Amino acid sequence: MDIVTCIKRVPDTSDADIIIDASQREIEGDTLAFKINDWDEYALETAVQLKETLGGSLTAVTVGPKEWDDVLRRALAMGADKAIRVDEDMITADSYMVAGILESLLRSLSYDLVLFGAQSEDFGSGQLGIMVAEMLGVPHVSLVVSLQVQDGIARVKRELEAGALESYTIELPAVLTVQTGINRPRYISLSGIKRAMTKELQVLSLSGLSLSQEMLAPMVRLERLETPPTGKKAEFISGSPEESAEQLAKILQNSGVF
Amino acid sequence: MMTLTEYRYSDVVHRCFRCGYCKFPVNWIDVNNCPAYARYRMESYSTGGRLWLIRAWLNDEINWTEHFAEIVYACVSCKNCVEKCPLRFNIDIVNMIVAAKSEMVERGLVPSTVKEFLENVQRQGNPYGSSRARRGEWSQGTGVEQYQGQEFLYYVGCVGSYDTRARQTAKTLASLLHKAGLSFGVLGKEENCDGNEVKNLGELTLFEMLAEDNITQFKALGVNKIVTLSPHSYNAMKNDYPDYGGDFYVYHYTQLVQQLIGDGKLDISGGFNARVVYHDPCFLGRWNEEYDSPRRILKAIPGIELVEMERNKAGALCCGGGGGNFYADFLSGSENSPARRRVREARATGANILAVACPNCMTMLEDAVKAEDLEDKLAVRDLSEIVAEACGTE
Repeated sequence: MDIVTCIKRVPDTSDADIIIDASQREIEGDTLAFKINDWDEYALETAVQLKETLGGSLTAVTVGPKEWDDVLRRALAMGADKAIRVDEDMITADSYMVAGILESLLRSLSYDLVLFGAQSEDFGSGQLGIMVAEMLGVPHVSLVVSLQVQDGIARVKRELEAGALESYTIELPAVLTVQTGINRPRYISLSGIKRAMTKELQVLSLSGLSLSQEMLAPMVRLERLETPPTGKKAEFISGSPEESAEQLAKILQNSGVF
Repeated sequence: MMTLTEYRYSDVVHRCFRCGYCKFPVNWIDVNNCPAYARYRMESYSTGGRLWLIRAWLNDEINWTEHFAEIVYACVSCKNCVEKCPLRFNIDIVNMIVAAKSEMVERGLVPSTVKEFLENVQRQGNPYGSSRARRGEWSQGTGVEQYQGQEFLYYVGCVGSYDTRARQTAKTLASLLHKAGLSFGVLGKEENCDGNEVKNLGELTLFEMLAEDNITQFKALGVNKIVTLSPHSYNAMKNDYPDYGGDFYVYHYTQLVQQLIGDGKLDISGGFNARVVYHDPCFLGRWNEEYDSPRRILKAIPGIELVEMERNKAGALCCGGGGGNFYADFLSGSENSPARRRVREARATGANILAVACPNCMTMLEDAVKAEDLEDKLAVRDLSEIVAEACGTE
């Protein structure tokens, strides 16, 4: 069974000051640390576990500049056999353009299953996997929380609102977008990353892919990034715990909460 | 399953016959001196039990499970077992457990909090996952200088740099060193994790990278003497860094402060009126046999009545925060948690101040004081804070 997992590099913004740069379309990356998009790590773990049980190959793919090699190295350390980076700085790209690039790449690869994270931590549009599936003309299921593969058939469950689950049986090849919580992604040790340096990491240029000019024009253009305006109603309570508790109680009382 | 050739201690691990001595302190007064055993009261959580489980894993008699990993990771590297084990292999007991953790790290099979800890260090250079850019924030408004060839590098460490309570200690120590006229500087946001916990969590390659990066940085800056806030940093820099070419004069701050008091550089005549009990941090005590400097400081301060817990020095009960457990947290949630046992023991001495010399112990024991509802009876204070008060700087 041959699996391709498409991954993205995102900034770790859990405790960082997000500064929008002068172009107003990007955030300043100098002080940020970067990582594999959370959802993609679950997709990778899903793929590695499938490969461990069923055999076959696992290829990790990304579309991005040279710095993005680090997430591919981590994917290789996790268990991917090979990695491919399409060398393209995606600043102006939208999901449609990236999907077109991936479609073109995937047509040149052999696959039974293509896995995506359900969405990205940074832009979070959740479109990419589904667009690629439609372009390739293969079935897809989004928000997958459970997956079993046997004899060319995938049995999947996808997550709905309020914890409800939907079950599907689909024929491979197929595209799935994976929800967090489907498994527990393994720890990627530093020695694992070092060992993975010997695995193949192929870099392709856009010109090496058969893409029409129309595919290389974004359908959606990011106009401006902005941080939400500071709320006017924020109030800081100061003083000892007893004093602050009293003040808070008064505020809650006056606002009619209790 | 793991193959015998991969495990460094496969020729000795079977020698533990589970006599159970590893659960006791040096003076035998309590069976609960292994922090994990004290918390769970099950043989598998004692060092002997852990070694037997590791051996069973080596021999393919048990499979890796999340629970097995938690039992192995519940070892906080306090070294109590090393003190008590009657066998000649005792010096390697903690190493045997760390080697098993290391095997789990290599397979990616670690408990989720350990995974978070190590990923955060890989990415941000600290276990909390806080931004590297915030590492120097603790020193804002203190006038502490960036290190640029001063006599001492003041290495603060992750807990002192990020934990709200420990940040106060980091500040207090800085003001104390300043008052003593010591020439020192800090690395601020250029400081990186010392790696002591990373090593004890079994991520040996990451530890090597941290050690090598820190040594390269220290050498490039011309660092010769280092004073650390944390005994954990002290241990790594003093005992492990020389293996990577890092030969620096390393002091835990209690050693330096004791000297500064002796030299008359710190005037402690203001005194500190309290009955004080001192808790030995494992990485200062058992790991480095430094039991005297902190006690000398306390004895020198007018007004202090220094008392001892029954379990002290080499027999001290660990707070449970070592080996990364202040974050990974396998021992909390019970009145049997080592930190809670320890504050009850401290209170039983009649002391109203529990003195610590480690930011990890500070956070663990202060939380335990709250959990035990002892806040009006027992206050946890860092030695630097007690000295600062005696000097009138706080």
